[in-house]
Amino acid sequence: MIVKHAPALLVAIPLVAAYLLPLFARRLKHLVVPAALFALLLCSAGSLSLLFQVMHTGLIIYHFGNWPPPVGIEFVVDRLAVFTVLTLSLVGFVVLVYSIDDLRHELREDVRGWYYTLFLTLLASLYGMAMTNDIFNLFVFIEISAIASCGLISIKEDRACIEAAFKYLLLSALGSGCILLAIALLYMVTGHLNMTYLAQAMLQAAELYPYNLLASLALLVVGLGIKAALFPLHVWLPDAHAAAPSPSSAVLSGLVIKIYAVAMIRLLFQVYPAAFLARTPVAEIILWLSTLAILLGSIFAMVQEDLKRMLAYSSVAQIGYVFLGVALGSENALTGGILHIFNHAVMKALLFLAAGAFIYATGTRKIRDLSGIGQTMPAAGVAFAIGALSMVGIPLTNGFVSKWYLALGALDAGRPFFTAIVLVSSLLNGIYFLPILINAFFRKPSGNAAAPRALPTPMTAAIVVLAAAVIVFGFFPGRMAGIVVLAVHRLLGVWQ
Amino acid sequence: MDNLIVRYISRIFLPFVQLYGLYVILHGHLSPGGGFSGGAILGAGMVLYALSFNLPEGEKNFSPDASTILESGGTLLYAGIGLFSLLLGANFLANKAAGYPLGTPGNLFSSGAIPVITLGVGMKVASTVITFFYRLIAREGGQNGAAD
Repeated sequence: MIVKHAPALLVAIPLVAAYLLPLFARRLKHLVVPAALFALLLCSAGSLSLLFQVMHTGLIIYHFGNWPPPVGIEFVVDRLAVFTVLTLSLVGFVVLVYSIDDLRHELREDVRGWYYTLFLTLLASLYGMAMTNDIFNLFVFIEISAIASCGLISIKEDRACIEAAFKYLLLSALGSGCILLAIALLYMVTGHLNMTYLAQAMLQAAELYPYNLLASLALLVVGLGIKAALFPLHVWLPDAHAAAPSPSSAVLSGLVIKIYAVAMIRLLFQVYPAAFLARTPVAEIILWLSTLAILLGSIFAMVQEDLKRMLAYSSVAQIGYVFLGVALGSENALTGGILHIFNHAVMKALLFLAAGAFIYATGTRKIRDLSGIGQTMPAAGVAFAIGALSMVGIPLTNGFVSKWYLALGALDAGRPFFTAIVLVSSLLNGIYFLPILINAFFRKPSGNAAAPRALPTPMTAAIVVLAAAVIVFGFFPGRMAGIVVLAVHRLLGVWQ
Repeated sequence: MDNLIVRYISRIFLPFVQLYGLYVILHGHLSPGGGFSGGAILGAGMVLYALSFNLPEGEKNFSPDASTILESGGTLLYAGIGLFSLLLGANFLANKAAGYPLGTPGNLFSSGAIPVITLGVGMKVASTVITFFYRLIAREGGQNGAAD
């Protein structure tokens, strides 16, 4: 039964494909792209099969090498993992389809094959991070993803990209160091790396070695905060996500930073004892940092002239929503935060891909120079508009659904102030997205925007699919929200 | 660099360096070291060769193409072993559970899949060290710059 091995195969298939591609690139050049697509198609099938299995039987537990925990590495696929894996597969596949044509003008011929290798390696590590139940295994995947992301940013080999990648590498190494030290501190007092065993051992360790746990908690929040670009630690993000090739930006902004949030959710809700966390101000700290992220991310985004840089700052604000939900901790808020992982992945990927299409067609990335682009490039323009409206949180787009849950959750938690924050931030999003739309649709096309290059069909198709997803999950949020609500029940059941 | 002493000494050294690298890789499951350290020694040997002679000479012996193949091959060997245990009815990367012969502990050919995996890691690390070296000394313009 191959289905039984789906958790391991989700990591193994993209990894194997990633290492087959350089071999294909030497003799069978025409096979590189189909092989990458095929690998991701298999992964999508695998994640769908995981969804069915989890919905029918509950948890799936996979022991690598038939070694049972606490010795062996264990993958536990719960609903949170399935939700994350589905997000990865959907957005990853669409971005890959888009990248085939876009890379032709962004990258040199000889490095293009490597792009797919890096992309698949990155996805393998993200799949692993979503499913692993072993904290050191988590660290290994974090490192793989850091290196692959750096590669994806610096692959363009111009000055801005290499500078951004270097900055990212340094800060991300700092984050990895913090995480490793935190893992060492936990291992020191519990003797376990498996999260289930760790959680049990920590109940006692919290009384005996509270400072170890406290230090490890601080290090984890800072380490994962750097990786997830939580507000004051976000400084690497705008450069990196703006400079990278557009498909890379879509994946980095849409998927990579979210996975660290998922890891943080797991650690906070499933590993650390709730009684211990209640004695620390960690929830309050994350709450205020995410509030600052939401407000200041939007304000920084307003003053940007570069379209991709603006989108990158908007990611800083949007990751704030995820952490806001986590920190508020009520059922609705957590549902909203986790649901926003998927919703933002779809709409931010859509916005970056549409922005990439504008750049592809006109060669300019200044917002000012894109006046009238909505009239000359209707498909990409309308898709961008849908993404932007979803970002603002207009009803019947998926952005509205997660904000609705968040606003309700803030009221449930007895903190109406944060409901106001969610509302104000929607207004701020409107302030920087609507002028672009007005500029794009109601001004006369001028300059390069008047006569754009024709967009290849796969690129248009990818954008349209994502735009459709924004609408579909706005009209019918029930399926996705259903999975998330069940995931939240599991998280909160452990917490309380 | 054109120095007779360096060339002569490294010519004497090189077989021993390579042999020691292979020794460390093959005894990965028995003694300290293993795929990574052994691979690094093997790779360092090739770097020594390319440094003391010159780059074209080094590339003739071990081309960037060959290193690409070895890099992918090493990883694929590792993953292949893992996937093969699926066919034998065990989980990914299973060793004893998949029925690989374990042999007598302490013998060179023992512990099932581990020596093969170590070999894969060794190939990968050795070729990566060499690739890093080639990339670092490559010059602007050409794929790999001229020697010296």
